[in-house]
Amino acid sequence: MYSFLVLLAGVLQSAMMSFNGLLAESVSLWGVSLVVHASGGILLVLYILLVVREKITLRGMPWYLYSAGFFGVLLVSVSSWCVGILGAAVTTCLSVSGQLCMSAVIDHYGLFHVPKVPFSPRRIPCFLMILAGIILLNLS
Amino acid sequence: MFLIVFIAFLYGCATVISKMINYRAAQELGTWNGSLVNYVVASILALALLLFSPYLWSDLQACTKVPVYLYAGGTFGVIAFVLSIVTLRRMKVFQSTILLLAGQLLAGILFDLIVFRGFTWIKFAGVLLVSLGIFWDKKVTAA
Repeated sequence: MYSFLVLLAGVLQSAMMSFNGLLAESVSLWGVSLVVHASGGILLVLYILLVVREKITLRGMPWYLYSAGFFGVLLVSVSSWCVGILGAAVTTCLSVSGQLCMSAVIDHYGLFHVPKVPFSPRRIPCFLMILAGIILLNLS
Repeated sequence: MFLIVFIAFLYGCATVISKMINYRAAQELGTWNGSLVNYVVASILALALLLFSPYLWSDLQACTKVPVYLYAGGTFGVIAFVLSIVTLRRMKVFQSTILLLAGQLLAGILFDLIVFRGFTWIKFAGVLLVSLGIFWDKKVTAA
């Protein structure tokens, strides 16, 4: 049951990317970002107040953590743009590959104060396989 | 083609940095309020960018003409976020990551077939190779 719910969450994420990509055909990327974050934000406020029953607080963090919103706009805009050109499956593949590489770099050097985890050579064949796939995507 | 592929890859890199910031915000304000910050700041920023962009007028004209269901993206995103957080208490992170990815890729292929109609066998083979590589890597790192 829980496995199904997580699978559903993945499907919804993909649906979000596709819908945003389609919306970006008529509305500008800033417009898409505004609609997505405003509607999502209102729903999240309702969820926090009605289901989680927590008080809403947004203050009291170090200032640089508020850059989360900057990344929010950037990521929604870029993904909507990419999905419109590459489609949802290819965008997801490329994005996850990017995530793997970035996480590997962050872990290896212990950036952002995370515990250092040296890059394991056992991951190299996996990365080569991903690279081969990306080359194929480039050709298509 | 190469440029957009590279940008989609960079988008993934930026996602990790964003996740790290969101994780720190969640430590400060709790899971729910921490991610609400993202939505609130992003809404204000997007509104400001739109107000000062040349697209404001064309967006206002276009927004009433697009089919209403296209506005569901934000709703889907929040439901996906809540589902992934709530279920994480009941399963391992590894399992959750793999299932999320599987759902994303399966639906991505389906949406591409139905909506974008951009299916080619080379593309399918590429998606398959990248997916297998990702799942393999997750298995290696989880061990």
